[in-house]
Amino acid sequence: MDNKRLKVARIEKGYSQQDLADQIGVTRQTIGLIEKGKYNPTLNLCINIATTLDKTLNDLFWDEEKK
Amino acid sequence: MTYSGMKKKNNHGPFVMDERNKLIAYKIIAIMYFLTILAILGIILYRQFGLRQEISEFEDIAIVLTVNELFLISALLYFGVIPIQKIRIRNLLIIYAVIVVLGSLFTYYKYNIFESPGLSFDQLINKLLIIIVITGLIILFFVIFSILGKHRMEKELGEE
Repeated sequence: MDNKRLKVARIEKGYSQQDLADQIGVTRQTIGLIEKGKYNPTLNLCINIATTLDKTLNDLFWDEEKK
Repeated sequence: MTYSGMKKKNNHGPFVMDERNKLIAYKIIAIMYFLTILAILGIILYRQFGLRQEISEFEDIAIVLTVNELFLISALLYFGVIPIQKIRIRNLLIIYAVIVVLGSLFTYYKYNIFESPGLSFDQLINKLLIIIVITGLIILFFVIFSILGKHRMEKELGEE
């Protein structure tokens, strides 16, 4: 399932996938796959992404519908 | 597109190995390792039963395979990949007995059914003694690594 919240947060911040990847030290493909919901990142990577985008883990990764 | 506050460049060089790359790489390496071990095992069996070579003709490959597997299983035990909660003597004895029985059957089949003339009773007993001792040493080796692994884990948990 697509992670639209991550994509929106990234675009709101003005980052391309490559920019975000460079900030965190991962590949662009990894960011793309996380946004597409095809890769489950580790908690460390989630925290790095959330910190870089000035969001909380809940903002980006918590799915209310699945609760 | 760049963000005004974002001036940090990627300092990771042209080859960025992130957690996803590493995960995929480890999976591929593990599969290739498994296939290589299977191929080596196949080669040993083929040389032994297909070409009917003497053990001395392929003992180098057999030693590499044996040492490799010994350390693989020991490492898995040491780092807690094989989750043994408690080492029970009864279970160890069962595993030991199963390996000895299988090894003995293999030896009997190899020398007395597959090859002729077979081994004499004394020679067969000597082979079985070797199996009993070597299996015991291997089990002991694994037990030592399991205990060391448990101590390592307890030490790590105790550092909190």
